[in-house]
Amino acid sequence: MFRLDADPALLRETEEQRQLRSVLRDFLAQTCGPEEVRKQADSPRGHDEVLWHRLADEIGVHGLAVPEEYGGAGGTFAELAVAMEETGRVLCPAPLLSTVVLAGHALLDSGDRQACERWLPGIADGMLTASVAGFPHPGGVTAEQGAGGWVLRGEADFVPDGAGADLLLVAARAPDGERLFACAPDPATCERTARRVLDPTRRQARVRFRGAPAEPVGEPGRAPDTVAGVLDAARAALAAEHVGGSAHALDAVLAHVVRRTQFGRPIGSFQAVKHRLADLLVEVEGARSAAAYAAACLAGRRTDQLPVAASAAAVACTAAYRLATAEYVQLHGGIGFTWEHPAHLYLRRARADEALFGTGDDHRLRLAGLLGLTGRTG
Amino acid sequence: MDGIPGPDEFRAQARSWLRTVAPARATHLEWGRGEDSVAVFENWTEDEERAHTERTRAWERVRHDQGWGALSWPAGYGGRELPSHYEQLYRAEESAFDVPRRTEIFPVTQQLVAPALRIWGTEEQKRRLLRPLLRTDELACQLFSETEAGSDLAAVRTRAVREEDGWRLNGHKIWTSGARVATWGVAVCRTDPDVPKHAGITVFLVRMDAPGVTVRPIRQMTGGSSFNEVYLDDVLVPDTDRLGPVGEGWRVALTVLAAERLDSGGLGLDNADRALDLARHLPRPLTDGERQQAADLFVRALVQRLIAVRVTSALASGRAPGAEASVGKLHATATMRATTDLVQQLLGPRLAADTGEWGTFAWTEHLLGAPGYRIAGGSDEIQRNILAERVLGLPKEPKGAGR
Repeated sequence: MFRLDADPALLRETEEQRQLRSVLRDFLAQTCGPEEVRKQADSPRGHDEVLWHRLADEIGVHGLAVPEEYGGAGGTFAELAVAMEETGRVLCPAPLLSTVVLAGHALLDSGDRQACERWLPGIADGMLTASVAGFPHPGGVTAEQGAGGWVLRGEADFVPDGAGADLLLVAARAPDGERLFACAPDPATCERTARRVLDPTRRQARVRFRGAPAEPVGEPGRAPDTVAGVLDAARAALAAEHVGGSAHALDAVLAHVVRRTQFGRPIGSFQAVKHRLADLLVEVEGARSAAAYAAACLAGRRTDQLPVAASAAAVACTAAYRLATAEYVQLHGGIGFTWEHPAHLYLRRARADEALFGTGDDHRLRLAGLLGLTGRTG
Repeated sequence: MDGIPGPDEFRAQARSWLRTVAPARATHLEWGRGEDSVAVFENWTEDEERAHTERTRAWERVRHDQGWGALSWPAGYGGRELPSHYEQLYRAEESAFDVPRRTEIFPVTQQLVAPALRIWGTEEQKRRLLRPLLRTDELACQLFSETEAGSDLAAVRTRAVREEDGWRLNGHKIWTSGARVATWGVAVCRTDPDVPKHAGITVFLVRMDAPGVTVRPIRQMTGGSSFNEVYLDDVLVPDTDRLGPVGEGWRVALTVLAAERLDSGGLGLDNADRALDLARHLPRPLTDGERQQAADLFVRALVQRLIAVRVTSALASGRAPGAEASVGKLHATATMRATTDLVQQLLGPRLAADTGEWGTFAWTEHLLGAPGYRIAGGSDEIQRNILAERVLGLPKEPKGAGR
């Protein structure tokens, strides 16, 4: 039976985290406003490399949760979650989720020191972009040992930022079971096709491996645990992003309804509107609590509570983001339905993200299994 | 801070003290045996209510006298001046022991009325009443709502008229919990009908045994009675029992109501846990839809608890809790509704007709009681108004006649 054992101190933002949030919010307000996001989203790579390097060099976002021995700041996931929330708030198209959360955690969780020493410093200083393939949708890639070492064959789809990543960490079926491999994609052996995507601020690609050389990462037999841990970290990171995006939507709607006048009064003075915004606040505060708890489990290495915390955060935060983006459009009226208004970019992000690591209902089913909410099955 | 134990040390001290005065609660209640009541409101006769109140009061006195009662209050009131969230730390420990469950009159007395009296009371009132309230020698109920003043509390019509040696009260209050056992009532009265309605209000402390006070139980939709009507007919109240300045009663009432909102974040969690246990033990496999519904209730209850932890955490760091404190009651009533919905799905016909099976028809008490909390303590709609206007800063409704 699950018993909540959350240390109030872990749910509280530290002074350092508060400062990080304020610095990032100012920085992103200057560098990643709505116009900039659209410009980047329309660019071939999908993000601005200058901004990517500034985030790494000036603020050190990439290395926040990377241990010092691998070139990071040695912080915890709680700091990284602050960065995800703030970048999620502005829909910053930088490949942080793929590089820092997915690939970074795959390396860390693999327990492979050599692999960490080789690639984590590049991730921490922004010189390397990376992603994972075959994680939520495994089974499509096989690994075999040839004369010149391991090679990968098969296909992985929906790979986040997969077309541009310098390095792919691939979950593949090897003769001795599922294993993790690192592959620097070469067009000769790895064909990458950018998918047309619902959310232009977060790219996805289909990756076909045709005998692509790769190196094993971590011990045989460890990959399933690594994959599970990385997915839960990704869910916690997405939850933080959703909180940021939902909070932005709420702020934007608030600003609009006090300005917009109909029937001779601000529409924000109508109870029908006020109550909906109160309900949205209730959802957003719930999402914020669930996301903070998932981040605290990762920061405090409470791996026993992580699966429940991550799925609960996914349920609460996807629901909040759905509601927030629906209200973002609706309460702006016609202007909210235009291409020029940013609301649809958030709606796109909310729905596309939910497809990444499990929908709300997928996570409800998972929780029922984890918590024994199944009735008597025997 | 000198002399303040750390949280862990404090919890250990509380545990070892509790062991000397109370038996431990059975750690794993066996499913299918023992008490299966999930009543939201007690359905007691007056005698049962009195007996339970006496048991609880005896326990509260033990707590108070041995230094585990008014934890955050100054020593002069029997307290230890501990940070306010230590009360929650203590409660977490106490929940593992078999002690009388506090009915609503106790938090109303200790968490709502006593703090309001500390803020608004005269030195003489504080000396005379605070300690007896904290020790529950005196129990206080709220004489707030009236038939024509529910959500619009400032529309109260109960009149208090100044006389030579005090005030004469006449009116009719409703929805008062614990009126049958309370020794004091906190009455929101109109003292000046000629000024705007919020300005003409004054609050009085009324002896519940004073001549002219009549308590009549209300039978609520559960079939039982946990609320009362209170009639005030020419009740004389000395001016020394006026709480706060004349005409400032609205602010006094708001102090009590704010404390009530803060106190409601934990509502419904016990029954949500019980419904999840039902989902575990139901003698058939759940469908995928039912599993999702059960998991959704789990997430709601978890989120509600996390919000409470965040409030505690904010208080602990000396910060006033923000939005997280105000959203608690709306989360709580939603959890209660989701609990009903899950149980409805899992029990099917056994919720509608009593088969005599343990833990089945008993859920009708929850089903029928839960709607009450969407109305009591500030309706869901009033909570939304508060969030919209005070937290989100949206413009107020245009004022109707009388405002």
